[in-house]
Amino acid sequence: MSHLLAVRGLVVQAPARGLKIIDGIDLSLDRGETLGLVGESGCGKSMTCYAIAGALPRGIARTGGSITLQDDADGGTGSPAKPSVAMIFQDPTSSLNPVHTIGHYLESALYRHQGLRGNDARLEAMRLLERVGIDRAKSRLRAYPHQFSGGMNQRVMIAHALAAKPRLLIADEPTTALDVTTQAQILYLLEELRAETGMALLIVSHDLGVIARLADRAAVMYCGKIVETAPIGALLERPAHPYARALIDCMPTIDPDDLEPPTPIAGSVPLLDNLPAGCHFHPRCDRGGRDCVSAYPAPARIGPGHAASCYHPVRP
Amino acid sequence: MFGFVLARLLRSLIVLFATVTFVFIVLRLSGDPAQQMLSDIATPEALAAFRTQWGLDRSIAEQYLLYLANAFQGNFGTSFADGREVFTVIGERVPKTLSVTVPAFLLTMLIGIPAGILAAVRRETAADKAVMAGAVVGYSIPNFLLGVALIYLFAVWLRVLPSSGSSTWQHAILPVATLVLAGAATISRFTRSTLIDVLGQPYIAAARADGIPEREIILRHALPNAAIPLVTMLGFGAGGMLGGAVFVETVFAWPGLGSGFVRAVNSGDLNVVQAMILTFTAFMVSINLTVDILYAALNPKIRLGNHDAS
Ligand SMILES: Nc1ncnc2c1ncn2[C@@H]1O[C@H](COP(=O)(O)OP(=O)(O)OP(=O)(O)O)[C@@H](O)[C@H]1O
Ligand SMILES: [Mg+2]
Repeated sequence: MSHLLAVRGLVVQAPARGLKIIDGIDLSLDRGETLGLVGESGCGKSMTCYAIAGALPRGIARTGGSITLQDDADGGTGSPAKPSVAMIFQDPTSSLNPVHTIGHYLESALYRHQGLRGNDARLEAMRLLERVGIDRAKSRLRAYPHQFSGGMNQRVMIAHALAAKPRLLIADEPTTALDVTTQAQILYLLEELRAETGMALLIVSHDLGVIARLADRAAVMYCGKIVETAPIGALLERPAHPYARALIDCMPTIDPDDLEPPTPIAGSVPLLDNLPAGCHFHPRCDRGGRDCVSAYPAPARIGPGHAASCYHPVRP
Repeated sequence: MFGFVLARLLRSLIVLFATVTFVFIVLRLSGDPAQQMLSDIATPEALAAFRTQWGLDRSIAEQYLLYLANAFQGNFGTSFADGREVFTVIGERVPKTLSVTVPAFLLTMLIGIPAGILAAVRRETAADKAVMAGAVVGYSIPNFLLGVALIYLFAVWLRVLPSSGSSTWQHAILPVATLVLAGAATISRFTRSTLIDVLGQPYIAAARADGIPEREIILRHALPNAAIPLVTMLGFGAGGMLGGAVFVETVFAWPGLGSGFVRAVNSGDLNVVQAMILTFTAFMVSINLTVDILYAALNPKIRLGNHDAS
């Protein structure tokens, strides 16, 4: 069976400035699978999400590649329903319209996606709020986002996403703005809902810890390219790309015996309009050879489902 | 909400009272109305008689208390010039002023807001550039110059519209046009920048990602948010119309409050000046009150505070 989501050679540009924000990435996601997308700030994680959701901001456009979503109704009779994608965001409170009530927000989504209106919509909205862990749902429908905490607003966004009955949920740094306890609760909720609904989950974070908790597979992004993809275990234990290894090295640990401070990656992320020739990571890399500056390395197979774009991958 | 309105109302009364006091004292300290009303060649006896007649020979404190006592009974004095009740004088002029400022304000909104929305939605296109070019012109020419330019163009050169007076509705066209051009320029620029700001907010990106059509995003998601700061700006606009009326009525010899005010100031008609300032202030205060109430009504953060509603 084909993948639920297949992204091939995706290029996203800001045509006015001619910059390639996303430069030919490939991604795939199977039904019910969780893929983590990780990388430093500015590497293009959000733009990848927006491109897949078909909602790139104005002034930014997809200029190459393809994004295909395949529904289960493949080869069945009649026209297959458009497989839906829903998305949740980093800052839940500012991602909710301040002049709309929670009830309006959920009920209008239920109307749009499921054709529910009136009392049916209200009851379903209450059910969704309860499902994401918000009690006293009935009175909460009349509340505005500013009356809720960030964690509660993220739950509201998740309820809203569920209203679309998505085959794929994109979560763009869903917990970055939240405190650790709330973060853990939201991640748990996402995991639970994924298992319950069978949807696939694309979760973005610059925190490998979050990815490690949820994802089956992970893709590491650097400067608009995917430098390594691997099953999550393989990535954490045997990262092949020096950038992926460096990211793992800067994960803080809470092991009391580990007195070594996390090692930050030397240097800084290059600007999009001034990318180094060849491998974009080579100026920050300690393994560089002469070939690294010549051309961008093609992905090389490291193991099953594991590939890295590096001329000198780290071998265990 | 009720307590909120009551507090604003009380504040408005205090503003009115403070204005009366301030204006009263400043007017008495700035020149001799007897000298201004009568001519330069008036005899000392005539001047003294004038002062006694209007109580100007007493101390300022005495005059002030007397004025307040009368004012509380609704008596704001009579005009030095013709002895009529000041509010009879003002009452004749208020409708004239409203008959240019109200249409001007409505047209300003009717032109400025849609033009600003168009410019914001069609940002960086020819439509946007045309609107902004028009706004720059309207914005950078001062009211009185614009008025004179319009008189020259339509009354002197094309001879299609009257330039001064108020006898027919055609007479109102140029004064209204002057106010609208300046007002709509400001409002369209402000609407545009506010809407562009709102369209860049994360909740708009979220609505787009949810597949909501662009038209609905503008109407249901962006505009209700842009309306909140816009209401404040419209309040300034309405206040600006009154200020503009002083210029425009003078330029077009329109017998409203503005030109009446200029005339009363020039002739030292203190009671009329005072009552007119009070009238202007009352208009301003009611505009501010309306703005405050609308602002709260449109903005759930103000209306409800940030406690959990449940
Ligand atoms: N409106 C825009 N016009 C041009 N370039 C943009 C625009 N918005 C973002 N970019 C650029 O696109 C690149 C990718 O941005 P993106 O938001 O996808 O990064 P990210 O990986 O999500 O980072 P973060 O972790 O900070 O959210 C950045 O280098 C950014 O400068
Ligand atoms: Mg991002």
